[in-house]
Amino acid sequence: MATEKEILGALADYQVQCNNNKRLRRMQRDWSRLLHFVAEDTGDVFTMNVVKGEIISNEAGAKGTPDIIVTTHSENLCDMFWGDLNPSQKYLDGEIKVKASQEDVVRLDAITMIIWPDV
Amino acid sequence: MTTLRKILKLRTVVSTSAGMALATSCYLAGLQVAIMLVGELAWISILVAGLFCLLSSMCFSELTSLYPTAAGIKLFMQNAFNEKAAIAIGMFYVILGISMVGAESFLLSSVLSGSFGMVSPHFDKFFWMIIFILFVGYINYRGIFITGLVQDILTYSMIGFLILVSFYTFNLRGIDITTALTSSQFTLANIIKAAGVGVFLYVGFEWVTPLAEETTDYRLIGRGMMIAIGLLSITYSLFVVAMYIGLTKEQLQSGTPIPHILFAQNLFGPTGMVIFIIISILASVTSFNAGLVNTSRFAYAMARDNVLPRVFSKLHPDYATPWVSILALVIFAIAISLLILLTGQYLFIILMAAALECIIYVVMALCVIRLRKKHPDKERSFKIPFGKIIPILTIVIFAGLAIGIFTDVTKDYMGNVLFSNYWVALFMVAFAIFTTLYTLLVVPVFKKKAAERAKTRKRRRPGRE
Repeated sequence: MATEKEILGALADYQVQCNNNKRLRRMQRDWSRLLHFVAEDTGDVFTMNVVKGEIISNEAGAKGTPDIIVTTHSENLCDMFWGDLNPSQKYLDGEIKVKASQEDVVRLDAITMIIWPDV
Repeated sequence: MTTLRKILKLRTVVSTSAGMALATSCYLAGLQVAIMLVGELAWISILVAGLFCLLSSMCFSELTSLYPTAAGIKLFMQNAFNEKAAIAIGMFYVILGISMVGAESFLLSSVLSGSFGMVSPHFDKFFWMIIFILFVGYINYRGIFITGLVQDILTYSMIGFLILVSFYTFNLRGIDITTALTSSQFTLANIIKAAGVGVFLYVGFEWVTPLAEETTDYRLIGRGMMIAIGLLSITYSLFVVAMYIGLTKEQLQSGTPIPHILFAQNLFGPTGMVIFIIISILASVTSFNAGLVNTSRFAYAMARDNVLPRVFSKLHPDYATPWVSILALVIFAIAISLLILLTGQYLFIILMAAALECIIYVVMALCVIRLRKKHPDKERSFKIPFGKIIPILTIVIFAGLAIGIFTDVTKDYMGNVLFSNYWVALFMVAFAIFTTLYTLLVVPVFKKKAAERAKTRKRRRPGRE
């Protein structure tokens, strides 16, 4: 079970990786979304704000009305943000649940694939 | 509980489900039903097919309420049986499903070449087919999505228009059911046989299940599918009969692939023809586009899951679309279309699609039964009433329809045999063997390579390196 602090640490690294990746920023340049990540085992919720492909903020708690809700085990969330987990596989296995449009589901997975292509 | 900013309403779930099924090939399939039975009574088989599909939609509803995800069909089978079965059947369903595009593009090109002659009928068909497939491929590649509102307007306008035209035709031409009732062709066996082909009219209604992730209440998907089947049943029942009585005997016997265009010309002249051509284009584009979105995303996800070569997971640097998957499917669609153009056997694909749907409905009903046994306490927001009766009925009916299709022969409008349908079965069996061998022999190689890559990769998470 990953703690809130661990996940926030992972999110901070994720933010740096995403914002420093030129290819990703180009691909996501027209993508602005408010995301909620829900750790189903601990009940922790995290809010991520993406504006034109740039992650503006990551914080604990559910803020605003989201465009995307990702629900999974806290360990999966932590591993995913550290780039140690292939979200597509977990999604296809039903371990990661996403509430969003089909386009956003691909966009979410694309982030991991671009930052960590070998995952 | 937090909710999404944008959520789909029942109206859009219904229009998406019905819109997927409303394609140009449906007019031809509808007429095929009319020819197999007695034209004026074709509505009976259409309603029977609709009723059968309703049973299947209940199975989809229960499964979607259990696993409300775009990965649905694979997940249902994976949890009910195992991953290998899910991969083999999933690939069988998706790849064979895209071949319907071949029939669809051939029929749409027949509509356009028959109306706008350029060089020669063969060349014109080829030209329009390529234009159509490339156009839909391009909008997919650019990531242009048909919004819910556009889908609502398109589907409800088409349905409303077809119903109005049908009543106008009945009023103009009259309908003689008494003679039809005494016809020797009006038998229970023919009703069921025609219903088997009639299933094709509803093909794609279940493609709305990936939208479960865009709704707040998963029950909307099930309710939407059922309403869509009801709407389609009414629309097809009326329009197929109207089309039958609106065509001349010569036109019926000519084996035309574009009966709705001839019908429009007979009743409304050139203006009617143009309206029907526009409807055909819109219907084909929306159906094929949705089909390509689903299949290309499926191929992308399979590649990410190390089931297909990794190249299929390549994303476009600007549009974030899986361009290699889209390109591969476009090439496949063009190849199938060319095959149909050369052989003229578009009915082969229509029958194959109908049989494929029957098989997948059987598999889904089996999934319902298996998952109830494996996870009896897992939360289901929708559970089919009356225990196992409806899933078992679905299995019996659709297995019977598939066998009925395979053991029949396909005839033209003059009653001449075109081909024995066991060829359809043989083709499908060959393809099933291919996907099974691929799953058993090739997929483990990809998985092994992925595992080796994962071993050499250092974990980044602190304390877990």
